[in-house]
Amino acid sequence: MTALNRTVDSFRYLSPASVAIVKTMIATAARDPVPWTPLPRRLNEATVALVSTAGLSMKGDSPFDIEGERQNPWWGDPSYRVIPRTATEADIVVSHVHIETSYIRQDLEVALPLRHLATAQAEGRIGRVASSHYSFMGYLLDPTEFLERSVPAMLERMGAEGVDVALFVPV
Amino acid sequence: MVPDLTAAAGAPRVAAIEFPFGRPFGQPNDPATQGAVLQATLDALRDASEPGNVAHLPFEWPEALHQVHWHPQEPSPIIKLVSRDPSLYQRLASGDIPPEASRRS
Repeated sequence: MTALNRTVDSFRYLSPASVAIVKTMIATAARDPVPWTPLPRRLNEATVALVSTAGLSMKGDSPFDIEGERQNPWWGDPSYRVIPRTATEADIVVSHVHIETSYIRQDLEVALPLRHLATAQAEGRIGRVASSHYSFMGYLLDPTEFLERSVPAMLERMGAEGVDVALFVPV
Repeated sequence: MVPDLTAAAGAPRVAAIEFPFGRPFGQPNDPATQGAVLQATLDALRDASEPGNVAHLPFEWPEALHQVHWHPQEPSPIIKLVSRDPSLYQRLASGDIPPEASRRS
């Protein structure tokens, strides 16, 4: 299952056409200084939240706007959803038209490992699983509205819930 | 995932893994791998000592490349659009994102 000294190939699963797009995104990314916040406390005392790009929403909550993307393929829904720490695949809707979503619907842990995080808490490897976790839909060619509205709202909620560590999980 | 892009976007600490899209922690109903990937990610977070650190996680996907199925059954709207119009693909590949990207319709 594992091999030492692997170097991950970012492009292994992408078609040549998609590689060209992603390489342009990498080349044109803003080269701002990388932010750095030292861990405020040891991981076994820290509160941890997950942030998934999978377009997850709770059943009963409004799902991400896939119809809007079908009407305007350049656009992606820039909003976010809150996922409580107790959520399982039975509670979740996945709205993401760029990946096969059946694996997540079968087992949420493949993208949002809340049960494994709870085990890490029970075994003292992290301090606490945050009450709230977050998802947005990662296809955002223009992330301006996401950065201006959704990110501050997520950060405010994390702050109110005492989150020390946010694990951002691309999908 | 695409750690080169995550790093370019300015993530302070990156745990890179060579798993297919849609399953960053492993296969459904494989809790051993899922838990190990989460712990390796937490270890990478703990051990990162400088901004932009990329830890390459040593996990191998259990399927051969030709067996991996990660694309949606129906191509995404943008793939359908640029497949019909090569000039739009060139636009996307050159990073020339049209203003339509910033509003719903």
